[in-house]
Amino acid sequence: MRTFLSLSFSEKDQGLTLRSLHFVKACYPSTFIQKNHTMTFPIAPPGNRYFTSRRRLLKWSLVGLGTTLLTSVPSSLMAQTSRSLKPLTFNADDLGILNFALLLEELEAAFYPAALKSGKITAPKEVEYLTAIGGHEAAHVKFLREVLGSNALFKTSDLNLNQTGLSALLTDRSTILNSAVTLEDLGVHAYNGAGPSLKNPTYILAAGSIVSVEGRHAAGVRSLLGRPTTEPDSDRLVSDADLMASLNPFKGRAYDELYTPKQVVAAVGSLNVLNNPINGTLVA
Amino acid sequence: MNHALNQMAHSPIETVPPQLQPTKEWLDRVGNALLSLIIPLRSAALILLLSSGFLLLAPAAPSYAQTATLTPQQIVEYALTLEKLEADFYRRAIGAAQTGALRNAPQVAKDVLVSYGGDEAQHVTDLSAVLTSMGGNPDSVMIPANPNYSAILGRDPFANPADLLMAGQYVEDLGVAAYKGQVQNLVAAGDAGKTVLAAALEIHSVEARHAAGIRFLRQTLLGADVRPWIKNASSVIYNENRPNSIIPFGSEAFDGYATREEVLALVKPILMSAPQPTSAPSPRSTAPSTPEDTTIRALW
Repeated sequence: MRTFLSLSFSEKDQGLTLRSLHFVKACYPSTFIQKNHTMTFPIAPPGNRYFTSRRRLLKWSLVGLGTTLLTSVPSSLMAQTSRSLKPLTFNADDLGILNFALLLEELEAAFYPAALKSGKITAPKEVEYLTAIGGHEAAHVKFLREVLGSNALFKTSDLNLNQTGLSALLTDRSTILNSAVTLEDLGVHAYNGAGPSLKNPTYILAAGSIVSVEGRHAAGVRSLLGRPTTEPDSDRLVSDADLMASLNPFKGRAYDELYTPKQVVAAVGSLNVLNNPINGTLVA
Repeated sequence: MNHALNQMAHSPIETVPPQLQPTKEWLDRVGNALLSLIIPLRSAALILLLSSGFLLLAPAAPSYAQTATLTPQQIVEYALTLEKLEADFYRRAIGAAQTGALRNAPQVAKDVLVSYGGDEAQHVTDLSAVLTSMGGNPDSVMIPANPNYSAILGRDPFANPADLLMAGQYVEDLGVAAYKGQVQNLVAAGDAGKTVLAAALEIHSVEARHAAGIRFLRQTLLGADVRPWIKNASSVIYNENRPNSIIPFGSEAFDGYATREEVLALVKPILMSAPQPTSAPSPRSTAPSTPEDTTIRALW
């Protein structure tokens, strides 16, 4: 009985996190982050009745316990849970690349509200940074969905986040900020890696417009941590030896190397934040 | 400031041969004029005003960042020019941080100068090798022995940490926009542009990290109202807003680009030799109203 309750918590939790992305998009419409406007970032995400009531009911602090207990759930039940997961199939073409970028943006856009909601980020400057960055990621999601239109392969609600993996990124301030650096650095390498494969010139300009903002995010959060703003080679999730030579004329500290989509999928997998299976020619 | 900037940014540039001046820009202008005829009457006056401003000031390319098609080799030569300037800029800043007017700058800022300066020097080395491999000559890509860095702010940028960081922010943000402005040319070059495109992408986001790092220092050390990202379009010296593009460059979540014409117009005054080394204490830096200075303050 205890086990079933935990499983139930976990499933609702996944829904909660995914809905929270919609919440961010609602709170930070693109007009909110227009340049040339005087902006006042809220110290914390504005209150939301849905959030507070869910929080009261579900007690986020139990998530860790619940997900720990998940390991004792019979495998038949686990199989039942994963059977409904939508596979994400990315083709090796412009639409596949844009959808793949959308997936990364969705993950980033889900991370920041969760990070803020954890209550572990308290310094006003850090709250402001994560709030702004989360707003940017939501704007990237919105833009990519507008460009893709009916060619979007999945809805936000199709994504099934791994709460155990996500919770592990949110345990304390240091873990949260360092996880943000990992996500942003990975995003930079992923966009760079996708660039040479894009055929549509408008798409590559858009990707360029986004990737430098991801680089600014990485540098900004690295600065909060007192870490170097450029990425030392030792921080990379893909080592020199594994970099694809044809994609990387230069290597080293002075460069943000290009990762293949397959390498990005492996890196995302190592973060253990997404349950959906990923396949398709783009990532093969 | 923006008005003056726009005037400078779109003044005629001798360095771009007439044959490279495209007809697309003219077509875009016609397109803008036509667009202004079919907009709702309610906002007609305003938009007509804006679009006539475009006719005078802005290239206004809807989706394409480019008004001139450059070959991969031309792009490497252009990038190498900018990298040589950046590397030289940091070299002088590091010198001033060791023994000159910047010696009392906070250590965190000095560390950044050394780190970023090393990156730019690496970019010069590696782009030079690429240019050689393409049959070009990196030594023919020259900057003056003493570039006129006072053109950036209208005063010596190496005289104090605040000015150094502001000039550094302008230079780095412009570098990001300059690389972004070439990605479409490199895509258009097909396989011939693939290696240079990958190289440009590898550099482009590092320049963004530099810009963000300097912006963070300005916010943290100086209390400047800037963030690592471009919160306000007036914090950069190129044109961030491209209202006719489907890409929402006006949003701080999207960085803008600059064409080579726009970048060279901004950089040209720096490429004029300074009458004396810019890093040396100079009466000019405290007297910015001399006729000499008013003619070179393109970035102001």
